[in-house]
Amino acid sequence: MHSEEKQRPESARLEHCPHCGSVETKNFVYFRRGEKIRVYNECARCGRFVSRYTLAGYTSDKTYESLLARVREWRLASGKRTLGIVEAFGDDVQQEYEHVLDLVSRQEDPRKIEEIISEDFSAPRE
Amino acid sequence: MTLPINETRRALIVFCAALLAGFAVSRIGFAGLSPAGRITLGIFTTASLLWIFEPVPLFVTSFVIVILEVVFLGRSGGPLGLSPSGYMIFIEPFFSSVIVLLLGGFVMAAAVKRYGIDLWFAGRLLSRVGTNPASVLLGMMSMAAFFSMWISNTATTALMLAVAIPIIRTMPADEPFRRALVLGIPFAANVGGIGTPIGSPPNAIAIGFLDQAGIHLSFFSWMLRGLPIAALLTLVAWAVLLRLFRPRTKYVRVDLTDPDPDQRHALDGRSRFILVMFLVVVALWLTTEIHGVPAAVVSLVPLVAFFGFGLLDHDDFRDLGWNILFIVGGGMSLGVAMQESGLSAWIVGLIRFEALGTLGVLFVFAASTAAMTTFISNSATANLLLPIVIGIGAVAPAAGALVVAITSSAAMILPVSTPPNAIAYGSREIDLRDMVRSGSIITAAAVVLVTLFIRLLF
Repeated sequence: MHSEEKQRPESARLEHCPHCGSVETKNFVYFRRGEKIRVYNECARCGRFVSRYTLAGYTSDKTYESLLARVREWRLASGKRTLGIVEAFGDDVQQEYEHVLDLVSRQEDPRKIEEIISEDFSAPRE
Repeated sequence: MTLPINETRRALIVFCAALLAGFAVSRIGFAGLSPAGRITLGIFTTASLLWIFEPVPLFVTSFVIVILEVVFLGRSGGPLGLSPSGYMIFIEPFFSSVIVLLLGGFVMAAAVKRYGIDLWFAGRLLSRVGTNPASVLLGMMSMAAFFSMWISNTATTALMLAVAIPIIRTMPADEPFRRALVLGIPFAANVGGIGTPIGSPPNAIAIGFLDQAGIHLSFFSWMLRGLPIAALLTLVAWAVLLRLFRPRTKYVRVDLTDPDPDQRHALDGRSRFILVMFLVVVALWLTTEIHGVPAAVVSLVPLVAFFGFGLLDHDDFRDLGWNILFIVGGGMSLGVAMQESGLSAWIVGLIRFEALGTLGVLFVFAASTAAMTTFISNSATANLLLPIVIGIGAVAPAAGALVVAITSSAAMILPVSTPPNAIAYGSREIDLRDMVRSGSIITAAAVVLVTLFIRLLF
């Protein structure tokens, strides 16, 4: 990653159960035709509700198939830019995944997930 | 998607260079070109460079065009002598009838995708393609061509490749038919879009430019000309692929392993409503000459029905493909400036097209379009060539416009030629040589066939 690019604020965090603090969670994927897929996140230890995500995109370990699913939602005009997206897609996912693991192991963001999602980077960090 | 910092810097340099090049060109005193024409030539140069090198997304170039037009041409007392509100001639193309027509098409495509109607339809058709490799390829390509008449070429390619990949993976790695299937889908999606005015942006751009020239081409008239050539080119592509990638296998397993196909893929009430609306709107589009309601106004019906009754929501509205609409609008705005400033007439006057004859002119434009769109977007190609071809006296404006619009969807030599090509190339099932070899033959055939076909019609 380019050095100047690294200066942009970034952080990563494991999702914790707000009740027992466990990081072991289960995902329940809910499909209803015509609506966005929603994922219900449950604590694997205490069995209580942790969070709900609404999916804007999804990438599995089969990155090309995931890309095809996402491309169905896009209207692309440029072959040049499309090729750039397609060629970088699988590698980008793997590289970013490794980077996120590294971030969490070095300095996990202490803020709540909702604070991170609202990009509240001015929130105090412990 | 944000660009890394070094790419942003490169984009900024290319962007400034394009502006400077446009400025330099506008300062050259070309004989016979008015001051307004020189400024427009500068804007045309900047737009061409931005559309070729893409330092900014294609739709951003459309806004650059409008800014330059209004600042340098559209001010009250400027070189075009416009009134204080005269600059609106450069902005009006962004909500012209052809933009509204495309918008309606995009709304219907969004509804079809959201409710899985395309998948349902693909599943039903796929079970009828048989097991013979040639018929499977023809079936898949016909489906891709048909879908891309109504939904975007990229969405069609993504849908059909998602269906084809599991089929491909049942074949040995060295089976040539794998490559035929992966190439056949984007090629068919490219040419299938020719079939309807909403199938591919160059079609709508051509209709828009013809409208500006006072020539009305209805939805039905377009299909009458576009559909046969789309079908013919699909067949040509199919034959070329079968010849180049001769299947070794005699049997292709098209296995729709769905645990409960009737339940999961059955259409519910909402999906049925969308399907009925789709058919009604297409019927109204095709019969505008009978009922007299313009196709653009018919396009507003799905917008009201789907968003009004909650079948589509704000997210769908946001994702409607505004980038495409603005690319089309920008091209038409540039066309207005070229017309008003006399630049189109000046360019046309530079070349003695009459000496080439009708067939020669059509062939030159078909070949130039194919050459350009191999490297740059087909919408940008149409935006740049249509204002010129429509002004040529040697051919009927509609003939020239159809040749440029159709050929710009029929060039498919490189992965960068069209988004469907790029998506198929990303599968890593084909290499560059496969695409160049087959795409070159099909593109060359398209140039000849489109020229002859349009010559026969006009």
